[in-house]
Amino acid sequence: MKLTTQQIDQLFTFTRQHYLEWYDLQSELVDLIANAIETQWQENPNRSFDEALQLEFKKFGVFGFMDVVESRQAVLGEKYNRIVWSHFKGFFTIPKIILTGFLILALFYFLKEYYTKEILTVTMLFLISSMLPFLFFENRKMKKRKQETGKSWLFEKIISNYGTFPWLMILPFHFFNIIRIDRTAYPSDLALFCMSLFIVSMSLAIFIVLKIIPSKAEAYLKQTYPEYKLENV
Amino acid sequence: MKNSQLYKGSLNTIIMKLLEENGKMYGYEITQKVKLITQGELNITEGALYPALHKLEAEGLLDVEIEKVDNRMRKYYKLTESGQKETVNRLSELEDFIRNMQSLVNPSPKLEF
Repeated sequence: MKLTTQQIDQLFTFTRQHYLEWYDLQSELVDLIANAIETQWQENPNRSFDEALQLEFKKFGVFGFMDVVESRQAVLGEKYNRIVWSHFKGFFTIPKIILTGFLILALFYFLKEYYTKEILTVTMLFLISSMLPFLFFENRKMKKRKQETGKSWLFEKIISNYGTFPWLMILPFHFFNIIRIDRTAYPSDLALFCMSLFIVSMSLAIFIVLKIIPSKAEAYLKQTYPEYKLENV
Repeated sequence: MKNSQLYKGSLNTIIMKLLEENGKMYGYEITQKVKLITQGELNITEGALYPALHKLEAEGLLDVEIEKVDNRMRKYYKLTESGQKETVNRLSELEDFIRNMQSLVNPSPKLEF
């Protein structure tokens, strides 16, 4: 006996009720549970759909679908970081390194001329806060898409939330806390160069997660999910 | 999973071996195949299977394909080219492990005079 389309829909609803909001994982687990229920029916044809479903769900343990979600999130988070890293490396190889080098040197000479700790603090704060409005709009865009299609994809969420980057942006503050720059002294050329390198690298990372990756989101989603193409034709 | 600690380290190799033999397989099929081969002795739980599959996919050892079967989507996993090479390595590692375990658990009697 096979599951009806209505029962498949019921399974999708069931996964959503159990905090599985990502369509990619929903469809995979719905197929798994559907197969398991059909096997149960071969042995016990009189067992009701609900009873068979509860028996299958119990097999996932006390945390339900959480283990599967967490493992998928970790894997896709790593994938996202690899994508960011590959773009980042691109800025330090020919031909883009010419531009990167120019930016670092320009900032270095600017800081050499006009360095004050206020300039440094304002620049850092500006870089960090620049993510917030984008984060807000990206999330709104994703919610809208979900309303239109009824589906949300885990990797889409990672792209829209910039992976773990908003959290990484807090790191510089710890960094400054640890090294405790002598605020009265004027930094050496080496310190200024390191600051320039650091600020340019941070700006590039922000540019990659805010602009480059979201602009290629569709391609990354298609590459991650073969079903994405089928669903969005 | 039965005796999970002992089997845990070999789960990825078990999956890769099955895919090597069967071409492409979907999640449920893998659990059932393992159950069948081990005559119900080894039961891979969903909570263990999917993290393993997702990790292998992320490592580039598995590729996925989607097919519409009956009234639902089915996700098939298959070995990539590097996955096929890695399966050979991991199987030989597992065989070494089994051999070493056998000699430790069941040492051949020494002839001492």
